[in-house]
Amino acid sequence: MSDEPAAATDGETGGSFADTVGIWMPRGDELRVMTATAVVLAVFPFVFSRMPVVSDLLQGYQSLATLILIWGIFALGFDLLLGYTGLLSFGHAAFWGGAAYAAGVFSQHVSGSPILMVLAGTVFAVLLAWFLGFLSLRRGGIYFAILTLAFAQMMFYMSSSPLAFITGGENGFTGVETAELFGLFPLESELPLVLETLLGTWLYAFVAVIALLCVALGYRILHSPYGMVFRAIRENEQRAEFVGLNVWRYRLMSFIISGFFAGVAGSLFVIHGTYVPLSSLYWTTSGEVVIMTVLGGTGSLFGPVVGAGVYLYVENIVSGGHPFEFVAPFWHLILGLVFVVTIWVFPRGIWGFFRDVRDYVTGGED
Amino acid sequence: MALLETENLVKEFGGLVATDEVNLSVEEGERVSIIGPNGAGKSTLVNLITRRLDPTSGDIRFKGESIVGHDPHEVVQMGVSKSFQTASIFSDLTVRENAEIAALASEHGSFGFKLLEHRDSLTGVHQVARDTLDAVGLLDQADRQASDLPYGDKRRLEIGIALAAEPDLLLMDEPTAGMSPEETEATVDLVEEVKRELGLTFVLIEHDMEIVFRISDRIVVLNRGQVIAEGTPDEIKGDAAVQEAYLGGVEL
Repeated sequence: MSDEPAAATDGETGGSFADTVGIWMPRGDELRVMTATAVVLAVFPFVFSRMPVVSDLLQGYQSLATLILIWGIFALGFDLLLGYTGLLSFGHAAFWGGAAYAAGVFSQHVSGSPILMVLAGTVFAVLLAWFLGFLSLRRGGIYFAILTLAFAQMMFYMSSSPLAFITGGENGFTGVETAELFGLFPLESELPLVLETLLGTWLYAFVAVIALLCVALGYRILHSPYGMVFRAIRENEQRAEFVGLNVWRYRLMSFIISGFFAGVAGSLFVIHGTYVPLSSLYWTTSGEVVIMTVLGGTGSLFGPVVGAGVYLYVENIVSGGHPFEFVAPFWHLILGLVFVVTIWVFPRGIWGFFRDVRDYVTGGED
Repeated sequence: MALLETENLVKEFGGLVATDEVNLSVEEGERVSIIGPNGAGKSTLVNLITRRLDPTSGDIRFKGESIVGHDPHEVVQMGVSKSFQTASIFSDLTVRENAEIAALASEHGSFGFKLLEHRDSLTGVHQVARDTLDAVGLLDQADRQASDLPYGDKRRLEIGIALAAEPDLLLMDEPTAGMSPEETEATVDLVEEVKRELGLTFVLIEHDMEIVFRISDRIVVLNRGQVIAEGTPDEIKGDAAVQEAYLGGVEL
């Protein structure tokens, strides 16, 4: 017997159980992270929009809670590219909006099943990321950012007029026909019993389950060889090439992976809004995800999700005149101030600040 | 058959001929040093072999196969590793991860789809990384961030990364540049130890003549892009052309 299979068996720790579960077995602190994430996802809509006192202070509402998760998935995937691999894309609207249109058109012509819509949008985004990544990654740094921006703007233009017969042009795509989940549960209907108090609607539950899966996926990728290789490429691209790694292909994979997350999020965005605005392909969408990610903290899995939450909170709640009526017209200014102050005081974003506090409290132990 | 051969290798930068018809041959298990005054074309030669630069003309063969036209990572995968003149490490990663990156590339190839497999299951990679860190004496600092290491240790890590790639041929570009005498001594010991234990073939570029004469089986002297002398350390010490061109006529 060669020693190759023997070494592989040695790596498994749980005997026959581990063999059947294979790579899906949680390792390290994955179980702990997943449980914590699940708990937060389960209580978030309640605390945000229904809990006495707290929700009055926050003025949150159910639909915004769902939207925060959706953008959170987008930002989480974006950070795999920006924070870990060190590539700034300024054209991720192409994948978010592209997936949104794909899922919307799919719902009109093929099937309105939410799961299939997410699948269709994501497949479209992944293929598009493959193609655009192949073209854009020929150049690094600012040239890469500009190339991605240019491609995304081309998509925006295409859907605004030449492809208007499919996309609805300036009006956006209005023909979204979402069916019931599993053919049984209308997404906007309330969940049964205590789940209604906690989670609210089926839509939130659907998005939350996908968000949990996305966190699990992102966490695993970061703890696979990929996570290490991505950071190595960010740190020292030349050295990575000279230890024998195909930097170009790993970068392309990083781009495709972040396109995958953007695709999942974009598809959910359509299901959430039952409408695709043309602006979902516009460069401001690409800019928003950059701001969310940097605000929350690059180089972390959860920071960008927090960033998405803060951004959307200011955009939706503060802009409506909460907590002070007079700030409502200046919400863009508030957002700018939040961003500048955060980056000034905590260069590693909100999540970086949390980490520093934790390190301070625990004496630097991880 | 020689492990590494260059045939009439020429590299021109504009009008400047940096490497002029160099024919170099390195046998397996040999330690060859390339010396020469500043601007002699030593670094250019190494950069040509590692495919960082494209030759103007000529051929480079490794294990009998031409490597001109291969990407740098492909050449590393074939078994040519390089340690850089400066500590070219992954500063934000731990010392262990630095070694694991190189071990990953040597154990699992230049690219793979293991994005869903947890790192803990890559036992081969951990073993190679551990052995390498042990060999360069950094195992007790494995969990430190690489940027926190003192300069000498960073250079050792640099050599460690090159070794963790499990090469057949190791090109070392001034491995002791900028080191203190103690660190230099430790590095020379390391090179000798690695040579003894792993039977590696070395090509060394070095300014420090003491080191060159101590650890080389053969010395190649470059001047203005051309090989002007080649031989054992003793032969080179006695070579009039070398003394004139490089050692400035000083009696050794």
